[in-house]
Amino acid sequence: MWHERAGEWRHVFGRIIGACATIALIVVSVSFNAQGEKPVQANYTADLPPGPMQAKATAACTECHEARILLQQRLSKAAWTKEVDKMTKWGAVVDPGDREALIDYLSSNFSPDKPPYDPQRTASTNGKRMK
Amino acid sequence: MVLRSFRFVDLESPVEYFNTWLTPVPHFFVRNHMHEPSEIDGESWRLSIGGEVEKPLILNLAELSKMEMHSVVNTLECAGNGRGLFRPQAAGIQWGKGAVGTARFSGPRMRDVLQRAGLKPAGKHVMFRGNDDIPGKVPPFIRSIPLEKAIDADTLIATHMNGAPLPKHHGFPARALVPGWIGSASCKWLAEIKVLETEFAGNFMNPGYRIPNHPVKPGEAVKPEDTHAVTALGVKSVIAGPSDGATVRTGRLAVHGAAWAGEADVVKVDISTDGGVSWNPAKLGREQSHYAWRLWSYKWTPSKPGDYMLQSRATDSQGRTQPATPQWNPSGYLYNAIDEVKVHVA
Repeated sequence: MWHERAGEWRHVFGRIIGACATIALIVVSVSFNAQGEKPVQANYTADLPPGPMQAKATAACTECHEARILLQQRLSKAAWTKEVDKMTKWGAVVDPGDREALIDYLSSNFSPDKPPYDPQRTASTNGKRMK
Repeated sequence: MVLRSFRFVDLESPVEYFNTWLTPVPHFFVRNHMHEPSEIDGESWRLSIGGEVEKPLILNLAELSKMEMHSVVNTLECAGNGRGLFRPQAAGIQWGKGAVGTARFSGPRMRDVLQRAGLKPAGKHVMFRGNDDIPGKVPPFIRSIPLEKAIDADTLIATHMNGAPLPKHHGFPARALVPGWIGSASCKWLAEIKVLETEFAGNFMNPGYRIPNHPVKPGEAVKPEDTHAVTALGVKSVIAGPSDGATVRTGRLAVHGAAWAGEADVVKVDISTDGGVSWNPAKLGREQSHYAWRLWSYKWTPSKPGDYMLQSRATDSQGRTQPATPQWNPSGYLYNAIDEVKVHVA
């Protein structure tokens, strides 16, 4: 297929474009604030919470997706176990010796008894303010 | 937009935006399972049509654009819209109420393209493959719909949204548009259509996007063989204003929102301002189209200051009514409980 022939350069180029889009979005956010209008507070990155597995969880999970996808979950240990095993099957690099510690880290930080996740707001999908 | 994730892009519309029949594209929710294609240009894009057909085809955008165009105003809702409201919560994007929007989608009919390729009698399902940029070893985004839905006159290969070419977030240059069904049926960045003898068996059909055949208790495990693929949307309404937690002044005000019902039509929306003790009909908006939501409004004059619970409950042409409690399921799909907001009248 055409998209397969495009090869690695396309992947790299796409990341560069993605980074540029990110910078543009942040600039838009700042400019909205500068005009004294409704704040648009969207930082591109969010971090996983501190803990002994922070670095390994960040490496394993955020290779493919950002930390916010974890931050918003409120799951039992059984559900986290299922997710970690699914993601490992899907390419997340988790040393078998770290599996239990990773599950403990996620299920203690993002358990059902934690306070509700409060998502940020950002600009419209075209980066412009709507009337 | 409510930021669920930048990478992958998952953006939710704040419910206060649900005050126009057509959702402006920049305010339309975005649901991506993976990275968007790094680069797609209309010139080099190709759509292949194969499988159980007489004459496999490869179409480019110019050829697709020459086919007869058809438009459908469709309310598109993510199957997981409201997942974050279930208890216990299910894994996945924790959508609130806003992974839904309504747009006019235009493009050739899916059946015209399939007929051009010539359907073989053995073909019973139609598979769509998206051009998502796949991270790691994640399975490709491939799903299928039954042939009868694929050849419905309103099922499209959409190239336009609200009169303009599809933006990249919404599947440029072409996506499937399967009206009345969960959003994931309407595969974005469409690259391949394949006619199959049986339902496609990949991850996004099974175990993904399935619900139990019978109601289960929250937290209860379900055997895979006791599930079926999620297809059409349920009946649902959302209160767009006043906002949850708002303080309003005494005097007449409009409670307003939107209601939709997948392949059915909304026939009424009832409003309660006393926590569900009594219900009164809202006025349905003038604009309507099969598969599209109806805006509604209700004039309310609070009798005295205090705290109030406002609720909306839609009923559709199939006799379905929003339930008081949502039907919990392990993946958090099809949340459609009676909507409610709390307001303080000062």
